[in-house]
Amino acid sequence: MDLTSLNKSTFALNRRTLLRSAAAAGVGLAVPHIWTGRASAANPIEIVHWSWLSASDGEVWAKMIAAFNDAHKDKGVQIRMEVVPEEQYVTKVLAASATGKAPDFGWGTAGKSAQLARDEVIIPLDDLIAGSGLDLADFSTTSIAGSRYPKYDNKVFMIPMDLMSLQPEINLDHVKEAGLDASKPPLDGDTLLEWAMAMTKREGDKVTRSGIMMTGSGVQPTVTWGIVAEQMGFQRASDDLKTACVNPDAGKAAMQWVLDLFDKHMVSTRDVTDRYKAFGTGQGSIFWTGPWTLAGYVAQKLPFKTVLFPKIGAKHVTYLEMGGLEFYKQADPGRHEATMAAVKWLSDNSFLWTTVGRGASPRKSILERPDYKTAGSPWDIRGAFVDGMSFATIGEIPVVNGPNFTIYSGGNFLAKTLEGVWSGQTTIDAAMQQIQTQWQSDLDEG
Amino acid sequence: MTTAILQGQADFGAERHQTDRAGYLLVAFFALPFFLFNILPVLFGVYVSFTRWSIVGTPKWVGLDNFHKAFTDQWVAVAFKNVFLYGLVIVPCVTGLGLLFALFVNKRYPLSGLARTLFFAPTVVSATVIGLVWVWMLDTQYGLVNYYLSFLGFDDIPWLTSTRWSLIGISIASVWWDLGLAFVLFLAALQDIPGEIIDAARVDGANRWQRFKHVILPHLRPVISMVVTLQLISTLRIFSQVYVMTNGGPASSSSSPIHYIYNLAIVRNLFGYAAAVSLLLFVLILAITVVQRFLLRERA
Repeated sequence: MDLTSLNKSTFALNRRTLLRSAAAAGVGLAVPHIWTGRASAANPIEIVHWSWLSASDGEVWAKMIAAFNDAHKDKGVQIRMEVVPEEQYVTKVLAASATGKAPDFGWGTAGKSAQLARDEVIIPLDDLIAGSGLDLADFSTTSIAGSRYPKYDNKVFMIPMDLMSLQPEINLDHVKEAGLDASKPPLDGDTLLEWAMAMTKREGDKVTRSGIMMTGSGVQPTVTWGIVAEQMGFQRASDDLKTACVNPDAGKAAMQWVLDLFDKHMVSTRDVTDRYKAFGTGQGSIFWTGPWTLAGYVAQKLPFKTVLFPKIGAKHVTYLEMGGLEFYKQADPGRHEATMAAVKWLSDNSFLWTTVGRGASPRKSILERPDYKTAGSPWDIRGAFVDGMSFATIGEIPVVNGPNFTIYSGGNFLAKTLEGVWSGQTTIDAAMQQIQTQWQSDLDEG
Repeated sequence: MTTAILQGQADFGAERHQTDRAGYLLVAFFALPFFLFNILPVLFGVYVSFTRWSIVGTPKWVGLDNFHKAFTDQWVAVAFKNVFLYGLVIVPCVTGLGLLFALFVNKRYPLSGLARTLFFAPTVVSATVIGLVWVWMLDTQYGLVNYYLSFLGFDDIPWLTSTRWSLIGISIASVWWDLGLAFVLFLAALQDIPGEIIDAARVDGANRWQRFKHVILPHLRPVISMVVTLQLISTLRIFSQVYVMTNGGPASSSSSPIHYIYNLAIVRNLFGYAAAVSLLLFVLILAITVVQRFLLRERA
């Protein structure tokens, strides 16, 4: 046998075999999809939901979704929830949207989605709401106002699900130890400092237990500055969203107020890495945080109560965060109606969510229920988060670069700039100048 | 005869042609995915660096704006300064300690087998786990490191919460994590040195230090070069430890270029700008690697 011909025939055979194998593999891969596609027509509608809730609130939300699926077992509609890390959430939504595979709906925060609205990744809901029978009049005015984007025809882009504010949690063991009266919590800045000093523990000039729980960088000092600054009369943006840093002197005074906690009054230490764990293990006495911490601290039997944020400046305000559900644009717009029906059900049945899961309900009918105060965690620890909504007004700035203005952030432009002040690397004046320049440019961009 | 030769040559040519095609086909199994998933994204990244883009929509061409912005962005400067400092701390420590541990294990002292496992063990643990563990180890008030240092009379050191110490804190965790690979490479190189050469040096009267300096070290130079190069590249790309342990803070004192790029792209969706900073980092890594390889090769 001629070796050359053998080689040739082997090669030819291999190539043909390869092509045949590739074709067979292709068909093999395609067939199950074709089959699935046919089969799925007979299946119930599956609404895809993305969530970034991963703490104890995530567990309650999973129960909400399970309850929906149970209630709709025989009605041809089910929700499939996928948990996506919060930090990557928007990027993943953008990527999914760009490839036409966006989920039907997902979690959003009021005022933070201007970019998604601009890029038509999330859709306006006014018409869908009208068609679904969801009663907007049952929602608080603030919650609906916060769900609108003035720049995008002032349309509603989110169904509000809960309202969260920042209020102080106080360790009752520390209160007792310091001889303070827990029934008369601090209502103003002076009393707050008195309480903090009474509960602070030091070794020499080193704070070993913070009267006011703080960290040297990240969210806690940033949000504290944001609240105190607004209380002192500072505004991140004018009402018409045209001028940044209204009353900058008040903003500077608030920076000094935060710095004094560390260096003058010595009621806080910068040497805390995890504020949640630190408060949970008794390293801090007063900790302003949100209702998402309640379930965890209750589970670990931490003796604490929640009080209203004191009035440190002239205006009594605190941080507001409103969670809600946004709808992502679909290739088949018909899906939006089914999604709206599902979200309406979740909103109508959000009693569990707004008593055990997270913040106060935006629905008047739920707030008025006689069992609203007795359900979930004890009112002593939950009440301030509901009652405190009356003065929780520091929300997001609804512009495309809104994240630069967020006061509840550990790594955005604001937090990084302020960290320079807390660490003594930047002067208060220089920091305010940087903030003003950046924010003005952000507002100009719209 | 001539016809037969010509016919043979023609057959050979046709066969070679077909063999070449087979070669291309075989190479394509690697080359095509490599082009699609490595080269193409890199080229796309270069293109994106000249645009403004947030995934959705078409990238908008902005020319050199992103690069101009990068050169005037104070956080970019801080991140690159930090990575230079990381390099100054981590690379010599990993190289020096890796060599020292390899020399120890190579001597086959009692328990050197156990030491070999222990020195290498951190390498197989993920950076995230390393970061989480070291956050507790380096906690200012309750960390083990400060606890033991207090016996030596040291005050609590704010390893991760102070602008002065955060970079050192992360470097400690990084050295502990990276040491294993350097150690293994040095150990393999040491075991490759022929015993006769060392014996000959000993017979010639060379003491331990002289044997190390004049016999062992010259043999290790290629490995040293490789360890330094690998470690340098690894340090320039430092991310996980920074992300987990300090998230770049306080006041960006521990941030790194990759951490900043991550924030630009994934948190803020500024993909064009992030790509421009990435490209600067790529050029820096390339330049340092070329220079460093050239310097060490020259002496080898």
